[in-house]
Amino acid sequence: MLQIESLSCFRQDRHLFKDLNAKVLPGQALQIVGENGSGKTTLFKILAGLFEEYEGRVITSDAAQLLYLGHRYGVNDQLTPIENLKFLLKLNENQLAPDVLEAALTRFQLRAELDQPCASLSEGQKKRVALARLILTSARIWLLDEAFSALDAPGRAVLSEVCQGHLASGGILVFSSHQGIPEFASAAQLRLAAGS
Amino acid sequence: MLLRRELKIMLRSPAGAIQSLMFAVIVVALFPLAITPDPSQLEPLGVGLIWVVTLLACLLAADKSLVSDYADGSLEQMVLSDYPLWWVCLVKSIAHWVSCGLPLLLMAPMLAAMLAMPSERVVWLMASLILGSPILSLFCTLGAMLTVGLNQSSALLPILIAPFLVPTLILGTQWATTGGEAFYGYMLSALLCLSLVTLPIATAVVAKIAVSR
Repeated sequence: MLQIESLSCFRQDRHLFKDLNAKVLPGQALQIVGENGSGKTTLFKILAGLFEEYEGRVITSDAAQLLYLGHRYGVNDQLTPIENLKFLLKLNENQLAPDVLEAALTRFQLRAELDQPCASLSEGQKKRVALARLILTSARIWLLDEAFSALDAPGRAVLSEVCQGHLASGGILVFSSHQGIPEFASAAQLRLAAGS
Repeated sequence: MLLRRELKIMLRSPAGAIQSLMFAVIVVALFPLAITPDPSQLEPLGVGLIWVVTLLACLLAADKSLVSDYADGSLEQMVLSDYPLWWVCLVKSIAHWVSCGLPLLLMAPMLAAMLAMPSERVVWLMASLILGSPILSLFCTLGAMLTVGLNQSSALLPILIAPFLVPTLILGTQWATTGGEAFYGYMLSALLCLSLVTLPIATAVVAKIAVSR
């Protein structure tokens, strides 16, 4: 479970958002909606525990593990997709066999690029490397800030498939997206009003 | 695991590490040409010069790996990881030392020869660098973390951190020039122990602030 209680945040003497309330139960998705600069990324950072200057409460059930993917998703240019994925997974969980990693990357249609440094990959491909982590993680709460952007249609399809699988297994998904994602059209929405 | 990643990244883009090493070699090579090639005049300057060059080379290499980790978001992921943050910061310092302090330490005898340093002094120079260069790396990592999210961070970093490196510089050079007087050795060792225990924790605090920006 993930619960937000009367959450307010000031940044640079400005109310970024005020009195947010939301509750997400296992198996549910929550879409954060708001214009550019309305504080979506700050809200994600607060939920992930990266940003601590706020009022109100964020409650997560104890055992639940968080996985946060922001605009910058932690893919190093000098490392290959496999090495990046291995590192990102090992930050929070156990070691995985190379063929498992490879299978996850293949699902995101990265096959030929597996042994090249990520510097030679396109932005969308780098994002797929980071997203492949979702297939293998055991985290129960996913915080995906603009995860659908920079992806092509097949990539988006794989991602929403993976997200739906996560929800079906009782996971929690919090995401933001400027494009409409048809698969999650029925998800609860949390709207951030710009600059009040 | 963390250290392996750092070293792998370093080996694949060695330009940063090589740059600071080349800087050290070139300064020491040019010094006798600019001042005097007379060994008797160079000899008293040697220890101090090599120490200053080491210090500057460390500052030069300080923010390379952190800047890229910050820009691509790896730093955020490391802060959120199950590893204790002070350990992540200590690994960053170790990686900095391996890429900068260690090569300089190994090159010190060669640099000393260029400055006509007698061999018994080279031994003490090496000893002082063995104790001193890890302190430099720990401080440089702290400084790099402090400035990592800021524009023009590479301009701010030396101003911010250089004063903190002065005690190490004084103790290190004094220890080497006095031929190993115990007092300086003890003080340098104490400083190393103190930095090793406190600086990774301080860097961890700063890292939390850096990722929240």
